[in-house]
Amino acid sequence: MFAPTWRLWGEEKCEGAIYTVYLKKVRYHHPSRSITQESDDDEISHLEWETVRVRFLKAGTLEKLIESLASDTGELESTFVNVFLATYRTFSTTRQVLNLILDRYLALSSSSNKIYGLREDHKKALRLTLQVWLDAYPEDFRDPPFFSCLRQLSEFTKIHLPGSDLNIKAGYKLDKMKREEDIKGSTMLGKILSCEEMRVHCSSPMSNGNHQPYEFLDIPESTFAQQLTRMDTVLFKGVIAHQCLGSVWSRRDRGRGDAAASVTATVDQFNAVSFRVQSTILVDTELKPSQRARLIVKWIDIAQELRMHKNFSSLKAIISGLQSNPIYRLKKTWGAVIKDKAELYEELARIFSEENNQLNQRELLMKEGTAKHAQTAHANDRHLPKALEKLAVNPLAISYGTIPYLGTFLTDLTMIDTAIPDTVANGLINFDKKRKEFEVLAQIRLLQGAANAYQMERDELFERWWESVLVLDDKESWRLSCQIEPQGSSAQSSTREGRMRKRAQIGHRKNDSIASTSSGSSSSQFFFDNDSLNTPISHNDTCSLERKMSTSSSSSSLPSLDVSVHSGGTSASGRTPERNSNTQQQQPAPSPYITPDFYIIRVSIESSAHEIEGVNLYKSIMLSNSERTVSVIRKAMEKHGFEGNPEDYTLAQFLPDGEMLLPASANVYYAINTQYDLNFVLRRRRHGDENTIIRKNPAKDHKVRKKLLVT
Amino acid sequence: MAILGRGRQPSSGSGSTNSSRMSKPPSDKLPTFKLVVVGDGGVGKSALTIQFFQRLFVTDYDPTIEDSYIQHTEVDAQWCILDVLDTAGQEEFSAMREQYMRKGDGFMLVYSVTDKQSYENIPHFYTQILRVKDRESYPMLLVANKVDLVHMRKVTEEMGRELAHRLNLSYIETSAKDPPLNVDSAFHEVVRIIRDSPPMDGPKKNKKKTNCVIM
Repeated sequence: MFAPTWRLWGEEKCEGAIYTVYLKKVRYHHPSRSITQESDDDEISHLEWETVRVRFLKAGTLEKLIESLASDTGELESTFVNVFLATYRTFSTTRQVLNLILDRYLALSSSSNKIYGLREDHKKALRLTLQVWLDAYPEDFRDPPFFSCLRQLSEFTKIHLPGSDLNIKAGYKLDKMKREEDIKGSTMLGKILSCEEMRVHCSSPMSNGNHQPYEFLDIPESTFAQQLTRMDTVLFKGVIAHQCLGSVWSRRDRGRGDAAASVTATVDQFNAVSFRVQSTILVDTELKPSQRARLIVKWIDIAQELRMHKNFSSLKAIISGLQSNPIYRLKKTWGAVIKDKAELYEELARIFSEENNQLNQRELLMKEGTAKHAQTAHANDRHLPKALEKLAVNPLAISYGTIPYLGTFLTDLTMIDTAIPDTVANGLINFDKKRKEFEVLAQIRLLQGAANAYQMERDELFERWWESVLVLDDKESWRLSCQIEPQGSSAQSSTREGRMRKRAQIGHRKNDSIASTSSGSSSSQFFFDNDSLNTPISHNDTCSLERKMSTSSSSSSLPSLDVSVHSGGTSASGRTPERNSNTQQQQPAPSPYITPDFYIIRVSIESSAHEIEGVNLYKSIMLSNSERTVSVIRKAMEKHGFEGNPEDYTLAQFLPDGEMLLPASANVYYAINTQYDLNFVLRRRRHGDENTIIRKNPAKDHKVRKKLLVT
Repeated sequence: MAILGRGRQPSSGSGSTNSSRMSKPPSDKLPTFKLVVVGDGGVGKSALTIQFFQRLFVTDYDPTIEDSYIQHTEVDAQWCILDVLDTAGQEEFSAMREQYMRKGDGFMLVYSVTDKQSYENIPHFYTQILRVKDRESYPMLLVANKVDLVHMRKVTEEMGRELAHRLNLSYIETSAKDPPLNVDSAFHEVVRIIRDSPPMDGPKKNKKKTNCVIM
C-alpha cells in the first residue's frame, strides 16, 4: 500500500469563511530533469517530496465565495469555479453574482497592495470564470427584452477590456440573443396560428392502434426503439442540469412555475411512454389472451432494443407500464406470454429493482454511462449476453450514448437538499453542500455529452402513429383491465364464457339497487374483515396516536373517492385466490368490477372529412349512472374537441340492425342497450331527429359503423 | 449487522448510536419490513426519512450508497430491519408509482398540514395501494406533517382524524424540524401496524412462521 498523499489536517476559520485544510505530499519541481529520467519514478528519493497545506472552502459569505474564484491563499481546487457556476442559483442571482465579480475585478485593478503578477493572475481567473459562465450557462443571460445582465457585461468589457476575448464573446452573445428574440417576436403570430392548427389537428379524432394504417404490431422493434431514443435524446440534452437541484425541483410548495420546465418535459415523455404501453394493450377489450400476450411481447422486445441502445429512460417507462396495475393483474394474458419472453422481461425488470437503493441501476450507469455499447450482463441474465454477441459480430455496429432514468438523480438531489443544511455557523453559505450536489449534476452533464453519440433519423410515420395512440387516464385503464379480466376470474374456463357472464351480470346490475352485490359469501368476508380491523394494537407509545376502531364501516362508500374506487370499495371481494385457499373461509366473491356504477362507451363522430381519410375514430367516455344525454354529448364534444351547443348534437348507439337515438332527456346509463357493444356516434342534429328513436340501417350510417367495427 | 457497516465511513466520536440504544440487535436473521413513503411532492417526505436515518450519516451523507435507507430498529422490544423506500422527487413520474408500491409491506401516507391539496390527494394513494395489493385493507399510517408551521396550517387535526377514520387508519402528527416531533414514532407505528395486521398481510418472511402458529 502507498502512503496516503492527502491527510485531513482540520478546520480553519476566518472572517466570513470556514476552510477544511488538508496536507498533501507533492514533489519538488525539477526544472532540470531530462526526458529520460522523467519516466523513472523509482529513482526519486523521498527527499524530493514536501508537504503543502491545501484549503477547501467549506462555507462562506457570498463575497468570500466570489473571492475564492481567484485567490492566492494556498492551492485552490480546480473544480471550485465549476461547482460555483453550477449551483450559485440556489443562494444568489445572476445579477448579484455578476455585480460582485465585476466589482472585484475593479477592486483588483485599482488595488496597490498586491504584487503585480499575482494581481494579474487573479484578474485572469475572473475573466476565465466569466467566459466559462457565458459558454456553459448561456440561459442565465437570456433575459428578454433588455438582457440587462449581458448588456452590463458587454458595456463593462468595452470599457475595461476592449478587444478582449470576453468583450467579443459578450457582444456576440448579446447580438445573437436579441436576434433570436426578434425572430421569435415576428413569428409570434405565425406560431399562434400553427398552434391553433396543431390544436385542431390534435383534437380531430385520432384513432387507437386498431384503426390505423400504421399498426402497432407492424412497427419493427428497432424502429420503435430508435424513435423513442430520438425523442428522449432531444429532451435529455435539453435538460438544464441545475433545474434538477432539490431547491428548484423538489421544493414545490414555493411555486415552481417554469423554473424546471426542462425536467418536466422529460417526466411528461416518460409518462407518455407508459400510458401508451397501457392503452395499446388494453384498448381492445375483445382480444383473446394469446392475442393480447402478443402485444405484451411486442413491448418486451422494444424494451430489449432500448436496453441495447442504453436508453434507460424509455426502458424503465415500458417496464413501469407493464408493471402498472391494469396490465400487471392480467393473469391470463401473462400466462399466454411465451416463457422465453417472460424471462427476458424479468431480466429487464431486474435492472430497476429498488433493492439496495437501486444498486443495479446505479452500477449499470457507472459501467456503461460513457461506454460505446451495452455490455454489462447480470450473472443471471441469459438474454443480454446473446444480444451482445450478435452486436459484436455486426460490422455495422454503431456507438450509442446513454439516456439515464432522470428520477434517480432527482431523488438523490432531493435527499441531499433535505439532509444537508443550506447555511452553517450564522448564515455562511454551506459550500460543501454545493460540492455534493455538483457530483450529481456533473454526472448528468457527462451523460448529456455522451448522448451526442446517438444518430437517429426521424420517422414521420412513426410520429404520426405515436400522436394518434389513444391515451387512457387511470380510471379508464383500470376499468378496461377489469373488463378484460374481472377480478377473481382466474377460474373461468374460457373468455367466451367470461364475456357471457359479464354481459349477464351487467344486465342484472342495471335492474338492481347499489347494495345488491352483497351475497352470502361476501357477508362472511365482511365478518372476517371486521375481525381483522379490530385486532388490538399496542399503545405503548406515548405519542398522540389514536387507533380508529371502526366497528361496522368498511372502507366502502368514501364520498371523496372516484367512481371506480367506489365500486371497488363497495364490493366485498378483492381477495386473491391464493388468499382464499389459505384462509379457507369463503368462495371467491363476485367481482365488483363487472357490476359497475358506470360504463365506458366509445363515441365516434360523423364527419365527411374523416370518412375521406378512411379512418373512423372514437373516444372512450366514462358514463356514470346519473348522466343525461346532454351531459354525455358535452363530454363527447370535449373529447373530440368540438365547440358549440350540445343541444345541436345527437347521440346514437350502433346496434346490429340499425341505431338507437337517445332522447335528449334520457338517463343514458339506463337507456342504452348493453347486450351489444357500447359504440356510439355523435352527429349534428338533423331535422326530424326529435321524433326518431330507432333508425333502421340508414345507408350512410351503416358505412360508418362498418368502419368503426373493423378491427 | 453487516448491513450497517458496509460502504459508510464510521463517524468519529459519535460511536454507533444504534447499538447504544437499549439492547443490541440479535445476530440471527431478523424480519425485514419494507416501508414505502408516499404523498404529494413538497409535503416533507424526504425530511421525515432523512430525520429518521440522520443519526447514521453524521459526517458524510451520500444518497447513493446502497444501505442509505436500511436500519436495524427495535420496536416494542423486538428487533427488525427497516428498509425504507422514499421516492421523493419522482412524484410526477406517475406511471412508476404502482411499480414501487407493490414492494411495500407497510405505507406512510404523508400530507402537509400547510397544503390542502396534499390532504385531498391522500384517498387517491390509499386506493392505489389497495388495488396494487388487491386487498381491502393494508398496513398504512396517515401522517400529518409540518405541524410546526402553526401559522400556515390549513388542515386541522380534526380534518386529519376525520380522514383517518373514514379510511380506517391510524393518525399521527409529525414535524421533521428540530426538535423533531413523532418522527421515530411514525416509523415505529408502521412496524406495529404491519405486525398486528392479519397474517396474510404480513411480510413474506413471516408468512411461514405465522401460518404455523395459526394451524
